Amino acid sequence: MSISHEDVGGNLRRITISGRLDMEGTDSVGAKLVELVAAPTKGVVVDLSGVRFLASIGIRALIQSAKAVEKRGGKMVLLVSQGSQVVMSLEATGIDQLIPIFTSDRDAERAALA
Amino acid sequence: MVGTDQFSDEFAIAASGAEVRRAAEWLVANCRQHDVPQAQMDRLELCLHEALANVITHGGENAAAAPIRMRLEVTRDPQCSACVTVIDAGEAFDPSSVPERISPATLAETEPGGLGLVMIRRFSDRLDYRHEDGYNHLTFGVRWSAS
Repeated sequence: MSISHEDVGGNLRRITISGRLDMEGTDSVGAKLVELVAAPTKGVVVDLSGVRFLASIGIRALIQSAKAVEKRGGKMVLLVSQGSQVVMSLEATGIDQLIPIFTSDRDAERAALA
Repeated sequence: MVGTDQFSDEFAIAASGAEVRRAAEWLVANCRQHDVPQAQMDRLELCLHEALANVITHGGENAAAAPIRMRLEVTRDPQCSACVTVIDAGEAFDPSSVPERISPATLAETEPGGLGLVMIRRFSDRLDYRHEDGYNHLTFGVRWSAS
């Protein structure tokens, strides 16, 4: 399980998570995710293309993060691998309708900054 | 093993978040060994995670004090299916008694709770619950067509 970030210019933060966002994995990266989305960048892209399993506890962490970003006037989007288990979880819970998901890096960055 | 068209196995974990991956590994290894298709295995794994997380998080003291037992059954005759029964000593909880979660219209209105049950309902083709001798028995299953 790992989480890292990269700031792209002054307006965009890209957060990359890999591994399993199950109980154990979310517990290990959840606090860091909250800390990273608190940065005052306008857009945040959370790259989940390296996440192999997304449980409800992981979705919960993503919702809390997206709400925190929205509350400070920013926008958080998700970058996912097409047809992955992550997409299956997001679609089944309807969260893809609330936090935009993209399979293209470029589209995700553009949407986060729109 | 109960014959070529039926397989069953049992496993148990302590009621702790750190144990859930062992349960997932047990499930995946058995599903692979018995040719459960990847899509059905993914759905079953998500249901198992959510069922265990629910017991660990909301089951109370009795749940925490006893192992959580699981039974996997794979059947190929007459229809292909894989079912998991999770047996725990926690507070009685019937998932079918919980109303469907209403999807919020905006992110601001979204409450992050209750998604585990949504996932179990969406991903299972079969969902049964009974409370017997102080234990919850939650069974969820997936089906597929024989190739």
